[in-house]
Amino acid sequence: MARDARERVRAQQRQQAQRARRRRRLVLTAAVLSLLALVVGIGISVQLTRSGITQTADEAPTGTIAEFGIARGKESAPVTLTIYEDFQCPACRVLEELTTPTINTYIEQGTLRVIYRPMAFLDAASTTEYSSRALGGAGCVLDEAGRDAFVRMHDLLFRNQPPEGSAGLSDEQIAGLAAQAGAQRSAIASCMDGGRYDGWVAAATDQASKDGVTATPTLFVDSQQLEFSDQEDPRTTLSQAIGSAARP
Amino acid sequence: MTGQREHHPPAGSATTGATSGSETTLAARGSLATGDPARVAGWWSWAGLGARLLVGGVWIVAGIVKLPDPAASVRAVRAYELLPEAVVPLVGYGLPMLEVAAGLLLVAGLGIRVVAILSTLLFALFVAGIAAAWARGLQIDCGCFGGGGFDADASSEYPWEIARDLGLLTPSAALARWPHTRASLDALLLRRV
Repeated sequence: MARDARERVRAQQRQQAQRARRRRRLVLTAAVLSLLALVVGIGISVQLTRSGITQTADEAPTGTIAEFGIARGKESAPVTLTIYEDFQCPACRVLEELTTPTINTYIEQGTLRVIYRPMAFLDAASTTEYSSRALGGAGCVLDEAGRDAFVRMHDLLFRNQPPEGSAGLSDEQIAGLAAQAGAQRSAIASCMDGGRYDGWVAAATDQASKDGVTATPTLFVDSQQLEFSDQEDPRTTLSQAIGSAARP
Repeated sequence: MTGQREHHPPAGSATTGATSGSETTLAARGSLATGDPARVAGWWSWAGLGARLLVGGVWIVAGIVKLPDPAASVRAVRAYELLPEAVVPLVGYGLPMLEVAAGLLLVAGLGIRVVAILSTLLFALFVAGIAAAWARGLQIDCGCFGGGGFDADASSEYPWEIARDLGLLTPSAALARWPHTRASLDALLLRRV
């Protein structure tokens, strides 16, 4: 009898301990889940701020088309070529070198309108986020000195493109190119210093990704994406695409 | 006492409850079935610790390398062309932090079961995402450890990426099933008083 009673008491104690443990496990699970939710919530707001993506049109340099595009050529031209490119992208530099004369000819003929859609997604390819800094500088040139100066700056940035993995050009060197392009050096230096177009650069890059562009150079002849192949000279590919788009 | 979940893999549980007499056997089974987290025994307690450090370590690294460039993380998510645009930034900004937090919890051994379930689900989603990209002929870097976007060699990378995620999903699932492992905060906090 006494043994039975002791057993019963022990069993009861075991049950109580078990209930207490289950409760603590529940509290622990709830605490861990709340912690994760909190961390994710904080993470989202912090990273959103850090991404620098702001979408207000008044932050775009004057002279842009649809906020992020810079146009060349007659608005009435029958064909529009949109070029997504990054100043740190070697393939873009090669394409620019090869096709600029072709493109210029079409523009002079009045057949072609080019819209540059610069983006900066190759910050990891330099130690100083050159990709974003270069586009920020080009934005300063556009705003300070206008579209023709921007186009010259664009060509200069590609011609002086730093190798991947390097520190890139310094802000002073970029301002030097801006001066060559016809902008006032000190104005560009202070524009870059204040990071005036950092938000525009981030937003331009984000918009490119929303447009489905995951690599550069990406070209559209009107709304048709241009596919380059290793077998064909890109000048031929481009001319043919423009030619067939220009035909009524 | 019936209907309790078994908290150790079969091989581990075989070592306990070998005493004679119906009452003591029941008692032994009882304490085993309640899964006293302080009582970790068997090979799994060590293997499970290894699993926690491996999976947790991978989560921490994968999360940390994505933190410096939140915009790139958003673009990597968008490149899968799976989620609606309203959700893409939330995942891009939130996922790296979730990865780091889950990794730290696994290494510390805090809330092992719930974190291991989360880890299993995430790896299953990643496998599905990569398989979906592959099936649709997308050429993208998985963005698993930063990066993301177009990748010309993507199709040769997909099988390896899927295999790696499955290789991490398996220990995650094992930890969700048998969370009791050596050197965990869970054991410290849930110890029998």
